[in-house]
Amino acid sequence: MTNEQILSEIREANLTYLMLAQNLIRSDRAEALFRLGMSEESADLVANLSPAQILKIASGNMLLCKFRVDDDIVWNLLTNHTTRKVNNDATTRLHASILMSGKFAEAM
Amino acid sequence: MATKSILNESRQIERAVALIHLGARLQVLESETKLSYERLLRLYKEVAGRSPSKGQLPFSTDWFLTWQPNIHASLFLNIYEYLGKVSALEDIDAVMKAYKLYLEQIASCDVEPLLSITRAWRLVKFVDNQMLTMTRCSRCGGHFVTEPYENARNYLCGLCEPPARAGKSALTGGIMVH
Repeated sequence: MTNEQILSEIREANLTYLMLAQNLIRSDRAEALFRLGMSEESADLVANLSPAQILKIASGNMLLCKFRVDDDIVWNLLTNHTTRKVNNDATTRLHASILMSGKFAEAM
Repeated sequence: MATKSILNESRQIERAVALIHLGARLQVLESETKLSYERLLRLYKEVAGRSPSKGQLPFSTDWFLTWQPNIHASLFLNIYEYLGKVSALEDIDAVMKAYKLYLEQIASCDVEPLLSITRAWRLVKFVDNQMLTMTRCSRCGGHFVTEPYENARNYLCGLCEPPARAGKSALTGGIMVH
């Protein structure tokens, strides 16, 4: 991957992310906050961006969306790396969902 | 509240219709809208195409504490509390939104939704009245529906420490351990 390619891919990911976030927030705010894991303030900012602003923000050298899983337990559950008492794929994913929705509620 | 407001009434009807679509029992509609019983009955028949189920609602907290329902209930309640924290929704709207998100999540795990909207609504009432609460699992840190006097220091959730006979059911669509 050349440097130029990297930059254009980042730009594309940013654009997709911002447009999706904006759509979600505009169609249903509460649901969007849950799906995006975003604070209310950031959601307001994103919702009010104009297309020109989105373009401008998207073209930088940094990704705008952050990694949501910052926890070993959740990560292990999602990737199913550890053999535990429960080793059914669907069930561990369910467990991860419970942890993730709980974690973010805690952080607010 | 102005009971004669047409706008308000249309909002009530909209909410009732949404609840009927989600499969709510008539008692839920009666408690969450200001429409009369007769109108709700007619609305129910019109929307669902059949008469509402009769009989009492399940009234016990025990169901939410058995292994499989507990996992479903905990997922729903975590989503519900999340929505409650990030936005100022009316309770019943938050229940409906959280229930839809719960259904999505469950479907993505290929598990049958065990929790009905009526049960979900009931669960929120139980938590409001401190008959049930959420306790943090001491191993995974997730919040799970428990009795209010659960010992928080040693509490282990049903997914970290599944009971011996859990997940052995031959029925498809259940939560499996292996």
